[in-house]
Order: sequence, then C-alpha cells, then structure tokens
Amino acid sequence: MTISTIRLTGVAAACAFFSINAYAEDSSLTNPAISAVLDGYYQNTERPMSERVEGFGLGHTEVAMSANIDDMFYGKLTAVIEVHDGETELGLEEAFIQTMAMPYGLSMRAGRFLSDIGYLNNQHVHTDAFSDRPAAYRAFLGSHYFDDGLRVSYVAPTDLYWTMGAEAFKGDSMQAADEHGERDYKTIGVYTAFTKIGGDAGINGSWQAGLSYLRNENGRMTAEEHDDHAAVQEDHDHDHSHSAQYTGENTYVADFVYKWAPNGNYKYQHLTLSGEYFRVADFKPLEEEHDDHGSDAHGDSGKDYQDGWYLSSVYQFSPKWSAGVRYGQVDTQLMHDDHFDPQKLKETEVSLAWHHSHFSTVRLQYTNQQGTNFDGIEDDNVITLQYVMTLGAHGAHQF
Amino acid sequence: MALGAANSAVAGINIFACEPEYAALAKELAPDARIYSATTAMQDPHQVQARPSLIAKMRQADLAVCAGADLEIGWLPMLQMKSANAKVRSTDQGLFFAAEQIDTLDQMASVDRSMGDVHAKGNPHLHFDPRRLLGVAEALTQKLAQIDPGSAAEYQGNLTRFSQRWNDAIPRWEEKAKPLQGNKVIAYHSSFKYLYNWLGIEQVADLEPKPGIPPSSSHLATLLTRAKQGDIMAIIIASYQSERGADWLGERADLPVIMLPMSVGGNDDSIDLFGLYDSVIDLLLAAQ
Repeated sequence: MTISTIRLTGVAAACAFFSINAYAEDSSLTNPAISAVLDGYYQNTERPMSERVEGFGLGHTEVAMSANIDDMFYGKLTAVIEVHDGETELGLEEAFIQTMAMPYGLSMRAGRFLSDIGYLNNQHVHTDAFSDRPAAYRAFLGSHYFDDGLRVSYVAPTDLYWTMGAEAFKGDSMQAADEHGERDYKTIGVYTAFTKIGGDAGINGSWQAGLSYLRNENGRMTAEEHDDHAAVQEDHDHDHSHSAQYTGENTYVADFVYKWAPNGNYKYQHLTLSGEYFRVADFKPLEEEHDDHGSDAHGDSGKDYQDGWYLSSVYQFSPKWSAGVRYGQVDTQLMHDDHFDPQKLKETEVSLAWHHSHFSTVRLQYTNQQGTNFDGIEDDNVITLQYVMTLGAHGAHQF
Repeated sequence: MALGAANSAVAGINIFACEPEYAALAKELAPDARIYSATTAMQDPHQVQARPSLIAKMRQADLAVCAGADLEIGWLPMLQMKSANAKVRSTDQGLFFAAEQIDTLDQMASVDRSMGDVHAKGNPHLHFDPRRLLGVAEALTQKLAQIDPGSAAEYQGNLTRFSQRWNDAIPRWEEKAKPLQGNKVIAYHSSFKYLYNWLGIEQVADLEPKPGIPPSSSHLATLLTRAKQGDIMAIIIASYQSERGADWLGERADLPVIMLPMSVGGNDDSIDLFGLYDSVIDLLLAAQ
C-alpha cells in the first residue's frame, strides 16, 4: 500500500503539472487532453476470471492524459485505480510514446501499451457494450493484454485499408505459472505479428478483418513434479494481476467486425457485428510430450491446444438506447497430476444500455453461464448493473 | 508556364476533406486534385467512425481540409494516428481548419459538459456564411500553394474566378432572401446558425434541449407551447437529423417541417456550393 501511495502522489504531481497547460484555451490537438472514466456496478455473483466481485464495486476507474509531445512524438498515460479487498491499487495501463512523423506509413510505439492483436484488445474496456470481456479474452489475455515493449507498424498506401505490424513485449503477465519458483523466464517473452484489412461495403456498411499471431516464449508449462493440483490458474481469481489464466507457446487469433448504419449516419442507429476466434496451442511441457504415450493412457485426449471464440451483436436503436447479445465459449485444459482435464465455459449474454449523452451510460446485463469442470460452474446466472461515465476530453472513437 | 501547370494538373494532389462542403470548395480551387470527402450530407459529422476506409484515404492525402473548432474531435485525431501520414499531422503542413481562418460565432469563455456537447471554439458549421466561406477559400488557396508550389498560379487563378462568381452571387442571394428577414424558426442543433445570422432569421428554440442531447418529450412539450404563440415560420432540420421530433411538433403546432441540405449532396439541387445556397434559400422561401 505504501508503494501505491507513493505512486499516487506521483500521479497527483503529474496532474498538477498537466493542469497548467490544460487552462490554455485551445485544448484540442496541441495541449494535453485529460479525461477520467468512472465505472461503478452492482453484481449479484461472480464471473470466473473476471475482476468484478460480488456486490457493489468499482470497475476500471481511469485517469488518462495524452498530447502531442512535439512534431514527432505523441504520448499517453493511463492510470487505472482499482479497489480490491479494501485496498486502493494504482496501476499503469498505458504509458507510451508514439512516433507521428515517420515516412512511408511507418510508426513506432514504445513503453506500456495495449497490444494490437485481435479486435477488442486495443480498445479500452469502457468502450465495450458489455461489462466484461468475452471469456476467451479473460482466459487467454487476462481480459486485455497490455505490456511493456515496442511496436512497429505500417499502413499501405492503398484504397483498401491494409496495415501490418509486429510487437515485442516483456510478457510477464503471459507467463505460464511457475509452481516451484525456480523457472528461468526469458526477458522478452512475447512477440506478436498482426495484419488487418478493411473497407466500406456500400454507403451503409464498413468492415475490418484481422489475423494475429502471438509467440509466447514462456507460455509452455514446466514439467509436472507430482504436486497435487498444480494448475495454471494457481494464482487465482481476484488478484488483479491481469495475467492470462491459460497460456501456450503459440496463439492464433482471427477477428472481424462489420458496422452498419443507414446512410452511414451513426447518430440515430447503428449495428455492430463482431467475432473473434482464439487458438492457444502448445501448452504442455515438452518433456511430457516426449513420453506422452503414457499420459494418453490416463484418458488425456492428447489435445495440445485450447480455444475460445465469441460472436457479438450490438444495436444502437436510438441515440439513448442500445442493446447487445453475445455468445462466447472457451475450451481449456487444466493440469491435474500427470494428466489434463478439459474444461468448458459457455456464456450467453444480453445487455441493455441507456445513454443520456455521448458521455454517460447505464447498463443492465444478464449472463447465463454453462460450465463443465469450470470453477464448479454448472448453470449460473449473473446480473450486472453498471454505469460508465466519462469526464473531460473527448475520447476518439475507434472503429 | 502553361506546360508546367498542365504537368502538375496531371500529377494532381490528394485532398482529404472531412465534410462535403470542403470537398466542394477544394474542387473550385483545385479541380484537378483527387478529392475525397470523408462524410456526406446525410451523416452527422460529430459522430463519424474512424473507419478503415477513412484511414486508408488519409494515409494517401497530401492535404486534409476540415471544419475544425473541434467538430471532428471524436474521429480526426484517431485517423491522424492510425493513418501514420506525417503530411497531415499539423496545420504547419498539410492540415487545414476552416474555423481557424475566420471568427466563429458563439465562442465561449468557459465550457461545461452540463451545457451539453458544446465547444469553446465556437460554432463550426460556418459554411453557410458566404463571406466567411470566402475568407476560408482565400486561406485554403494559400495552403494549396504551400503544399503544391508548382501550381500556385493556377490555384490563385481558380480563386479569382471563384470569388468573382461568389461575390456576384451574394447580392443575388441576399435580394432573393429578403422576405425571410425577421422570420422566426425552431431548428435542430445550431447547424444553420450562420445562415440565420446572415439572412436575418431568428432561431427562437432548439429541438435539442442541449447540444448533442436528443429531443425529449418534455422538451418538445415546452416547444409546442412556444410554437402556439403563432409567430414561427417553420421547423427546420438538417439532412442528417431525425424528423421524428420535428414531425411531432409540426403536426401539433400546424407548422411546416423543412429539411435543409446540410451540405453539398444533401439534395438533388445541391450539386455544388452555389446550388446548395440556392436550394436552401428556395426551400425556406417555399415555407413562407
């Protein structure tokens, strides 16, 4: 807690510093944009792998500052304040610089930032139409994967949007659990590569599709040493670590999004269809694989991948109201002695949101969970009542 | 000289216009350029998505021409970042904000979100003031010359021709619109603030309770009371705005609802800036 307090003081000082400029009349592109997002909720029970606890709680409360640093660099700082077990924790979700003046459509981002793999991952959670990320995100990316590293990306000079990029990260939050505390993790743990293409489909529609690959050097488990119940999700549920619960060496993601609005006018109504598929492969200890004829005998299917997907549809049917439906599932493997037990979680969700303005949302969400060996879940119902409100600068709308 | 102009015309610069009125203005000044409009008159420019096609177009732009005054604040910064095109990053280079070239109406010393989605830099829908728009055209010509110095003389010539036609049209429009002077309207948002200001029309009430907040039934009820005073000429909405609230009020107050093109392309007559002005004035006159 002491550390958090010191950090808080640091941010307070930073705020004081930034606010001097914030008084300047022109606040759009040259001076810091400062915003805060307030997120509060009531939830009748818990979702596995989620940060939201039962009862009243605060979600992702964040304070962000961003500005052009000079003609070459842009910078952003996002601090997230979370309350957990009565303790106020301060985390940095973003602290990055990005180049703005490199030639040939190239740009670089360095520091701490959200990875650009998949569709949802680079978006801030408070822009979602549901109170939690799909189960696949919670299982494989710790809800949203941000990390310390470097990105290089390129946008092609074509009428069809085409971008590609690569990232290298520290990867701490993506490490497979270390049961014995003696594992040698690689310093650069995660490498990614991604590409996205997109365009318009007539005057009413727009689309984007992407493929991503994530190489996790520390994603494979270490060999089992007959401790009972050593599991990847050992450091469990509510530790706010944002760590991936299920890891593997190779992760493949396919994503698409289609948005529709009459005449392309998003003011009154629009529809968003999106979906992603994750396949996390190669998670078993290599040693185990070599003599895996033995483990097959234990009823282990021998499947060396875990997967998950979701499909979501959100309809904003008036400026004040929007409704969403989402279905998602994850199939993961839990290590149990010398074999793996398959687990499954299916979530069917509906949400209804009321937006008084562009900056305030009150949401009611219902989730039905069907689980097989998943944290003891069989048939659960989760109801969440949530508000998400933005103060200060306009956040830009990402597609 | 003629050869040089012809060559650069073939090369043609790439212009990304945030709104169709600036695409139209760019076309008057740089007819040989490749011009792309990010929005249409049927789209609310406040709520545009930073969609992939726009990123791709901005990636290739030599010049981005936008209204400014924070109209595009929700999407332009995202496009600038995602398109990774250094040329359109700053107004020192290939970025042009119309609102920065003139004095905007309704600037505010202090702004609070409880006032709705208002911006301190004033009303950005300035393309309905012919004199302000001429000022913008002059500044845009200089910008074009800066981006593409080889064609500077050509741009200057195009400006001269445009301002001549425009200056000829202004008194004609003002003469035609004389009967509208002193009339009162109820309108949606401050979309046509400059038009009313120019033609001497008074907007006495707004269908939006506050900027960016859709009409509520209680607000419409107060508008109905106001409308029944009997001095309102019409209810006016822009081509991208919903007619629902306006129709409700129009029926009960027995007032015509006029949908004015917000920009070039907003109706069949608005093929360019001249057509847009003519069409808007004709539609208003027809309601009288």
